[in-house]
Amino acid sequence: MLPNRKKESTTLNPSNEQMYNFYLNKRVPLPPGSGVRKLLLIMKLTTLILITVILHVSATSIAQKVTLKEKNMALTDVFDLIKSQTGYDFALTTDALKNATPVTINVKNEDLKDVLTEILQGRNLDFSLDNKIVVIRPKEESFLDKVKAVFVNTDIHGRVVGDDGQPLAGATVMVKDDYKTATMTDPNGYFILTNVPPNKTIIVSFIGYEKSELTAKGEIGTIKLKVTDSKLDEVQVIAYGRTSERLSVGDINAVSSKTIESQPVGNVLQALEGQMPGLFIKQATGLPGSQMSVQVMGQNSIGQGNSPLIVVDGIPYASNPFNAVNPVLSGGGLGGGASPLSFLNPSDIESVTLLKDADATSIYGSRAANGALLITTKKGKAGETHVTFNIQQGWGNDTRRVNLLNTAQYLQVRKQAFANDGLTVPSIITSPNDVNYDINGLWDQSRNTNWQQVLLGSTADYKDFNSTISGGTDNTQFLVGATYHREGTVFPSDFSDQKAALHFSLQNKSENKKFSLALAGNYVYDQNQLPSTDLTQTAILLAPNAPDLYNSDGGLNWAPNAAGNSSWTNPLAFTANTSLFKTNNFLTTLTLGYHLLSNLEIKTDASYNFLQSMETFLSPSSAQAPENRTTSSRYSNFQNNNLTTWNIQPQIVYGLKVNNGILQGIAGIQAMQTTNFGQNIQASGFSSDQLIGDIGSGTTLSASTTATTVYKYSGIFGRLNYSWRDKYILNLTARRDGSSRFGVANQFHNFWSTGGAWIFSEERAMKQNFPWLSFGKFAMSYGITGNDQIADYRFLSTFVSSSNATPYQGITGLRPTSLPNPYLQWEETQKFNARLDFGFFKDRILLSADYFKYRSSNELLSYALSTVTGFTSILENFPATVQNTGWELTLNTVNFKNKNFKWTSSFNVTVPRNKLVAFPNLAGTTYSATLVIGQPVNITKVYPFAGVDPATGVYRFINAAGAVTATPNFNTDRTKLENPNPQYYGGFQNTFSWKEWQVGFLIQFTKTYQVNNYWATMGFYPGEFDSGISPYGNQPISVQNNVWQHPGDSRSLQRYSTQNLQYNSAQLSSLAFTDGSYARLKNVNISYQLSDSWSKTIGLKNCRVYLNGQNLLTITKFSGLDPETAGSFTLPPLCVITVGLQANL
Amino acid sequence: MRFLNKTMFAVGVVLTAISLHGCKKLVEVSAPVNSLNSANVYTNDATAIAVLTYMYANMSAINSGSSIPTSLFLFGGLSADELTLYDINNAKYRPYYINALANTVLTTDFWRSTYPLVFQANAAIEGLSASSSLTPAVKQQLLGEAYFLRAFYYFDLVNLYGDVPLALTTDYRVNNSLSRTPSTRVWQQIVTDLHMAQSLLSNNFLDGTLLKTTTERVRPNKWAATALLARSYLYTNNWVGADSAATALISNSAMFNLGTFTGSTRIFAKNSPETIWALQGVGSNPPTSSSTVNTGEGLTFVLPSSGPNTSGTYPVYLSNTVLGAFEVGDLRKINWINSVTVNGSTYNYPYKYQAGLTSSGSTEYSIQLRLAEQYLIRAEAEAHENKTTNSVSDLNTIRTRAGLSGYAGGTDLSSLQIAILHERQVELFTEGAHRWFDLKRTNSIDAVMGAGGACAAKGGTWNSNWQYYPIASSELLANPNLIQNSGY
Repeated sequence: MLPNRKKESTTLNPSNEQMYNFYLNKRVPLPPGSGVRKLLLIMKLTTLILITVILHVSATSIAQKVTLKEKNMALTDVFDLIKSQTGYDFALTTDALKNATPVTINVKNEDLKDVLTEILQGRNLDFSLDNKIVVIRPKEESFLDKVKAVFVNTDIHGRVVGDDGQPLAGATVMVKDDYKTATMTDPNGYFILTNVPPNKTIIVSFIGYEKSELTAKGEIGTIKLKVTDSKLDEVQVIAYGRTSERLSVGDINAVSSKTIESQPVGNVLQALEGQMPGLFIKQATGLPGSQMSVQVMGQNSIGQGNSPLIVVDGIPYASNPFNAVNPVLSGGGLGGGASPLSFLNPSDIESVTLLKDADATSIYGSRAANGALLITTKKGKAGETHVTFNIQQGWGNDTRRVNLLNTAQYLQVRKQAFANDGLTVPSIITSPNDVNYDINGLWDQSRNTNWQQVLLGSTADYKDFNSTISGGTDNTQFLVGATYHREGTVFPSDFSDQKAALHFSLQNKSENKKFSLALAGNYVYDQNQLPSTDLTQTAILLAPNAPDLYNSDGGLNWAPNAAGNSSWTNPLAFTANTSLFKTNNFLTTLTLGYHLLSNLEIKTDASYNFLQSMETFLSPSSAQAPENRTTSSRYSNFQNNNLTTWNIQPQIVYGLKVNNGILQGIAGIQAMQTTNFGQNIQASGFSSDQLIGDIGSGTTLSASTTATTVYKYSGIFGRLNYSWRDKYILNLTARRDGSSRFGVANQFHNFWSTGGAWIFSEERAMKQNFPWLSFGKFAMSYGITGNDQIADYRFLSTFVSSSNATPYQGITGLRPTSLPNPYLQWEETQKFNARLDFGFFKDRILLSADYFKYRSSNELLSYALSTVTGFTSILENFPATVQNTGWELTLNTVNFKNKNFKWTSSFNVTVPRNKLVAFPNLAGTTYSATLVIGQPVNITKVYPFAGVDPATGVYRFINAAGAVTATPNFNTDRTKLENPNPQYYGGFQNTFSWKEWQVGFLIQFTKTYQVNNYWATMGFYPGEFDSGISPYGNQPISVQNNVWQHPGDSRSLQRYSTQNLQYNSAQLSSLAFTDGSYARLKNVNISYQLSDSWSKTIGLKNCRVYLNGQNLLTITKFSGLDPETAGSFTLPPLCVITVGLQANL
Repeated sequence: MRFLNKTMFAVGVVLTAISLHGCKKLVEVSAPVNSLNSANVYTNDATAIAVLTYMYANMSAINSGSSIPTSLFLFGGLSADELTLYDINNAKYRPYYINALANTVLTTDFWRSTYPLVFQANAAIEGLSASSSLTPAVKQQLLGEAYFLRAFYYFDLVNLYGDVPLALTTDYRVNNSLSRTPSTRVWQQIVTDLHMAQSLLSNNFLDGTLLKTTTERVRPNKWAATALLARSYLYTNNWVGADSAATALISNSAMFNLGTFTGSTRIFAKNSPETIWALQGVGSNPPTSSSTVNTGEGLTFVLPSSGPNTSGTYPVYLSNTVLGAFEVGDLRKINWINSVTVNGSTYNYPYKYQAGLTSSGSTEYSIQLRLAEQYLIRAEAEAHENKTTNSVSDLNTIRTRAGLSGYAGGTDLSSLQIAILHERQVELFTEGAHRWFDLKRTNSIDAVMGAGGACAAKGGTWNSNWQYYPIASSELLANPNLIQNSGY
């Protein structure tokens, strides 16, 4: 074929029915004909005859020269212009004009051919000139082209959507095993993969979806990806992004709403216990709203905060206890206040991600040294509107009780104590002022009360009603959820924590998918009414023959002695001191995004959180013994707290194919401000108990400010992620941070991390030689993070009033109390992680092992100074180093799987080790009393316990010189170190599904040798009776077998005595520590999916009934109530069993 | 091209973001509203005044606030030859008395009680200088007071310890690594600060608002700075400077005049015409009683009829050295010394301040600077300047008031020096540490304290090193750059 005929030949298009329209003077479309070529020929001839004659002259003079200067003109209009200049008519098909883009052209006196070539360039159109007629037609492939096309590369067009039909932006499309030929989808899910060699397979992949493989062809159409059910590919929310276990470099664990919902809890943290390696959670008490201690990978800071950063929908959330007057929620020792996460509704949470290593956390800069918990709330999905409701009713009880002495045994112990001390048992008749009411005859010695049953034996009510409406279109989705939640207590009076929660989420995308908007909001109203005293201690220690709670007339019994003074404080009087803690929590996040380019999005998160509480703490005189009830004995406290946070973080997200890999980058800035304001007014002088809730009725008011701080924080951050052939992944993260908590000299600082992963299972050699190894990854990361958990304004020098008896010139002076420290800065933690992941047998077995080594330095401690500085000490960054090392092991298995039955297991264990590595000049500081180099930072120094002296029956200890002594020296003889940290901890989850049944259970375990020993820390020794506020004295039944009785006895408890003997020293000895290991059946959930026909008959869809159980069984050698809340007499976490129904309307 | 443009746009957005971030405002917080601190205390007249006022109150409390004063009039007098310790075994006073201090923890440590005040003066200078919201007159006066006080504190420190670290900032890192500054440099700073104070302080005595004048002479004014400057020049042998500064005061007869021994112009009555600057008593004694303390001097020295005691409330009486120094007929001996006799033993005691406690408002203030000293300063300076006549004339002004005849000794420098030192001994006895410092600056300390002298009489063994107090070992531990005084 001749080259110049080529274009001609392309007009042949037997495969397509083409329609030609002729444009003559008027562009009137001619009726289509079947004999196109014939018609064309007639036209040509006619035109030839007509026009050559008429326009001959002009044709010769101006023929084929065109001058055009047009901008965005319609193609047909351009043709009209050319026609008017050249006289050429245009013949073209309507098809050719379809999707014709406007023309911009600037030519002067140029050849028509060249002009047409320019106009049609890139239009898939061709032209030919035939006697004053320009024929425009679609480009056609010649046979040769077609033959060539088989060998020649093509461009592939297509669109990727999820199984809900929503476009997936940023999905990777590539030719199999050819990383050079790869692209990413635009916001609409469209992609063009250029230059694809023929007959290749292309792979479409997106995080959280199954990979799809297709044969390459020009128009590939819409590709629908299925949400993965592989654990490796599940979406994991990370800081400013998403990843999957397969592709992650960092040490990340996630828990989904499914896990959270199957646990009847009021605080999401309770549902995380045992679920994730590296996360150690301890509940302070079993009361609803209880404080939680959360530690990720051990204690990094010696003297400052160790809580992880909590981020809810992108906004940093309070992690410290929320101020309260009522101390009961702290379980003693932790200070008053409730866990802020109890003001977030667990059923509104979609997922919780735990970030641990430098790679995952350094983007949070100075606040992520203790790890981060990212909480994401639920969002709506496109589709028809779903109305889901979930009704749950449950019952809670105390889990374990101590086997205590009954009255006969108790009195025997008491009498023996008097006998051992050489004393006679006193009598109320002969000595009316004697206070041994249990034994002196005032109290009935035949009464026997099981106080644990009386005070802790009630059933705690549990209710949770939740309804969610969600749905939407491709462009707009919504979700609205409402929840009512109630948790009672096991105390005899009616106390409860009630929550009402509203959650909403709205998402919108513009028609071209370039602009996106997401708005989420959570509102919780919480009303927690609790007594100010945990009755657990009373329940255990109260003498078993203590009087009846009520008098015969129904009033509280105070069992007065002859002088009219009460012989005890009736435990029910404790419950008269109540605290009503009302909290409003509103948290909202707005995200706006715009795709400037298909692979470049700018977006902004703006969040606002308002956490407000009002507490009314009442202490009426009825809580006092009748003889003490005076006007001054009653008071009330009114405390308000406002915690307001706003947070803005504009970001740019960018993705690019570079070389054989995909480069993704994010850069952003963050500005945040938290204001905290609190006031307390104590009112007293009320004339009656009925009035103490009214502040105006108090005659004396004393007001104080409990908090007024502003915390500002800003940062600039960026992350680059480069994935080369899905085999090698490199992550670089950097952040520059400023915090108002630090001094002006050190307000800003840089944090960074670098991490890499090698997915070695992608190597050809591995695939060939180890086909059973479906996944293998080695990842390492190193970086620097910080901790800014110190009080606000510590860098300033504060002044207080200093008054004198005679003020100087009548002025009250102001005195500085501390040095300003402009150098104050964060504690710094260097984190190193190395991780190996394996997937065996098509990922049915997933095993990962993580080694971590964290070193925290720059510890914020009080530092001794010369008084030349003005003060003798300062809070300063001190070069002490704390090291946390350890192993994490996670094993996920699909044990069995067929059509009807599936059994999966998940096991995780963490083996942590904490060590003080360096502390310059430790011996010269006051810290030498508590810290030892080479030991954990939270060790306790105790006397080595040497048992009971067989001759005298009192406790003995070993002093520093190695000799046995009954009277050790506090300063020198506490030579034994007790480490309270767990040796390992973890969880073991199993899930079985059989047809419509699903059963899951979680066993949580902790191995620790040293928790507070119930024996030594109960504070009362066998034989003692405390006639103080509460008549305490009862003991576990096991004392009978362990107590020293006669000279020569070798027993573990010193003799019964009304005296302390060496009990106080024993409390400071190794006797005070005991094995606190336990394994707990933390959760059991059983559910049954009703068949559709069944459901429909009752007008429901997807109907599921279930039974959930929490804290069902604890296996431990611990002798007290519960090893988790060991030592202190606080209510342990309750055993809660619920039944529920979940369905769609 | 299009792609490049958009990339440039994106880069632009990032750069804007970075520049936004650079704005420190995002992490700057104003001070908390419920507490005052270095950031907001100097923004308001009342609180700024309260900060400086605290420093006077604190100095006054050291003098008089607690039951046992810890001021230099007691310890300086004990270290020199002015006071006799009644209970020789009293652990608190004995080391000072027998000149046997150790570097272990001292119960009273001027270093550790003065440097915090130096810090407060430094903080006030920094804070006031940076403040723009104070009434200008108030700011100027307070700044002057801060400079004055810093000089006043360093005057004591350099005299007690010799070379001392010269802390002029609040930066603890700088201050915690200072080595000892040569005393000449410290003296320079004292003079510089006093010149600053002179230029800033009011001419008048001001009340607590610093805007109105008052008869209360308890806040330093320009004349206090001048008086301390005269004393500093004297101590550094700047005779011309001392002469002119003292002259300025002596010629200001509108404000200052020599007082009398009795009557309404009694020298040690509060706000006497001779007072240049005094500290108002702030304490009560015991702290819960309704009677207030006049002065620590009165509280400590004025013995009850039971005489001195071992419990530490009346630890000392006047030494025979002072008693024997007076010439016959000296009115000062008659008016300023009193005695009690207990079981046949007579204890003389300083009676300049006559009532430790008062139940009807203060009657006496602890005078820090008074006019008579200026006459003696000028006399000494003039002697060195060879203005013998003037020198004798000034000396005689003081002698005449004391009822003594004019000076009749030699008019050579060394005779005059001896005469003036003697006059200072009897005029200024038990006021501050005048005697202790005079002995040191005139290099007569070894002669007075040494072999066969005062130290041996007190039961100690003199060593020239003992003229400087030791630095507590905890200070040396905290700052390794500090070096102990020789001999300790």
